[in-house]
Amino acid sequence: MTVAGPPRMGTVSAAGAATAPRRRRGRVAAVRIGGGLAVLVPIVVLSTFITYSLGALSNSDPAATILGQDAATPAAVARLNRALGLDHPLVVQYWNWLTQAVQGKLGRSYFTQIPVAQSISQRLPVDLSIAILAVILAVVIGGTAGVVAAIRRGGWLDRGVTVVCSAVSTLPAFVVGIILVVLFAVTVHLLPANGYVGPTTSIPEWLKYIILPSLALSLAVSADIARQLRTSLVEVLDRNYIVGARVRGLPYRRILVRHALRNAAGPALTILGNDFPQMLAGAVAAEVVFSLPGLGQLVLESAETRDIPVVQGVLLVISSFVIVVNLVVNTTLNWLYRTSDGLGA
Amino acid sequence: MTGRRPGARGSGARPRPGRSRSVWGLPSVRIALVILAAIAILTAFGSALAPQNPLTINANALFQGPSMHHLLGTDYLGRDVLSRLMAGTRLSVLTALEAVGIGLALGAVPGVATVFLGRWFDFTANRVADALMTLPYVFFAVAVTAALGNDLGHAMMAVGILLAPLFFRVTRAATLEHARSQYVEAAELLGASKVHVIRVHVLRKVLPNIAVTTASMTAAALLAVSFLTFLSIGVQPPAPTWGGMLSSDLDYLSLAPWAPFIPGAFIAITVGALNALADAFRDRSSAGALVLVDPVTQRVLRTDPRNLEPVDGDRQSQSVA
Repeated sequence: MTVAGPPRMGTVSAAGAATAPRRRRGRVAAVRIGGGLAVLVPIVVLSTFITYSLGALSNSDPAATILGQDAATPAAVARLNRALGLDHPLVVQYWNWLTQAVQGKLGRSYFTQIPVAQSISQRLPVDLSIAILAVILAVVIGGTAGVVAAIRRGGWLDRGVTVVCSAVSTLPAFVVGIILVVLFAVTVHLLPANGYVGPTTSIPEWLKYIILPSLALSLAVSADIARQLRTSLVEVLDRNYIVGARVRGLPYRRILVRHALRNAAGPALTILGNDFPQMLAGAVAAEVVFSLPGLGQLVLESAETRDIPVVQGVLLVISSFVIVVNLVVNTTLNWLYRTSDGLGA
Repeated sequence: MTGRRPGARGSGARPRPGRSRSVWGLPSVRIALVILAAIAILTAFGSALAPQNPLTINANALFQGPSMHHLLGTDYLGRDVLSRLMAGTRLSVLTALEAVGIGLALGAVPGVATVFLGRWFDFTANRVADALMTLPYVFFAVAVTAALGNDLGHAMMAVGILLAPLFFRVTRAATLEHARSQYVEAAELLGASKVHVIRVHVLRKVLPNIAVTTASMTAAALLAVSFLTFLSIGVQPPAPTWGGMLSSDLDYLSLAPWAPFIPGAFIAITVGALNALADAFRDRSSAGALVLVDPVTQRVLRTDPRNLEPVDGDRQSQSVA
């Protein structure tokens, strides 16, 4: 990465002797990732144990639930409990559940007998597509707004962006979602208020259904990104090397993209990285508002019938997503900080 | 509570002490306090003050706009919207406070204690906090109602447990900062007991951080309770709740598209007031809350800018190489 400006001078002059330290840095990175994984073990164990023990907390008797009132004789209940492995101590049950879960087997629903993994894998794409589209929208909307506000700083566009950002970030996401439904689905009939079509059927139709939930989810993150980007970009644009580049007569757009934006993007990227792991949980919430057939609907339906295996499975999937994405984001951000002096400066 | 610190900005800059830069003098704080006082009154006397019975159905006055008789209009059963909002305040606020109370007790107390209890306790407590932070709030709450029965109290207990790690993080960081300061060392050298040091030198300095976090967390808990009641968790239909009103308004959008804005605005104003209060206190006391999360989207609302810098010495080693 070549970044213009005085802060890099020291590193540039030492670039010739960079091969040996690079190898060492690789080992350091490996150790760090290994350490990060080791720290993850207790987190994974604890969070999955909490998820599993929810079932034990419940005072309902799964065997009696499955058998129904008439067939639930004590002998039949005991037999089914043995078949389900519910006669073991909690820790043993947990271990069996976790080892099965690692292989992708999450048990069966108490009511429909459909494998939990199957219903989750049917519904996960809905939430994943909302989450990913929301991240893209947040980068585009927040990035554009932040850059525009920084360039026109002090002007009415800047003030407008600031006002809209603080308004949007106080509104809860589900209220934003409802406002969007009112604006685009009820008033203008532009987009559907609910329902879903898979991307395999028709991609434009699919986009039509997921764009509103994604927008609802992304607006608050966009506001954060815009504010952070504006602040750091305003600061960078005042630096001497930007003034120097302008004096040398470089085109403004090039200065903005090559020199200013690259150095100002760090804090905004960090905000995005912090928000990203939670996007799936947010998507699950947004999807309920728009009644899309995703994990949120599944949890709500199962909670109503106290279908514990389904609830446990969904919680496990969402928290695993948080853990994995967190690890990836942290590693990436650390790597970015290390490869560029400009980030976060 | 005013968070005055040695060397705090502005305290010495203005000669008149009475009208100096007290937090209470800020217009945003004053407006927020008025709003919160109104909410407190509604919590205590909401059902009694409501102009009409929130449950009375009137088939002749469905979806009416604001009028003298119905200041905020009527809903799909002709019930008075203002009365329903007022009567629904108590449940939302009390369950939100329940969650915050649980979070505060489970988070802030170990947050202070962990600094003084040794490495093993600190390690374990941190891992528990990490694990809790991976669970999604709303759906953990829904899962708890699936296990323990459909009750808003159970759901908000779950939210409280998940708020605890945030309290823990903030309190622990603030305590660490002060526990390593020179005046604590001096007090220890002078023979002060651990309890005395914690009570006099640490707790008093940490309180502004806890206060800021409590305000933000109350806002977060209110959002959570609104969303849970929106999902009709824990409340039987005729009982008025903020979220429940939003959800029924959503069903009749084509007939009354303006309807959801009223409970939506009610929630947003209350949450906004709490956030404004937290912001003002944080700015004045430099009590930087480390991480605050929106309970619904679990979006990180605020990150302490000090956290954005990587803390290892790697950058140095790079420029040396």
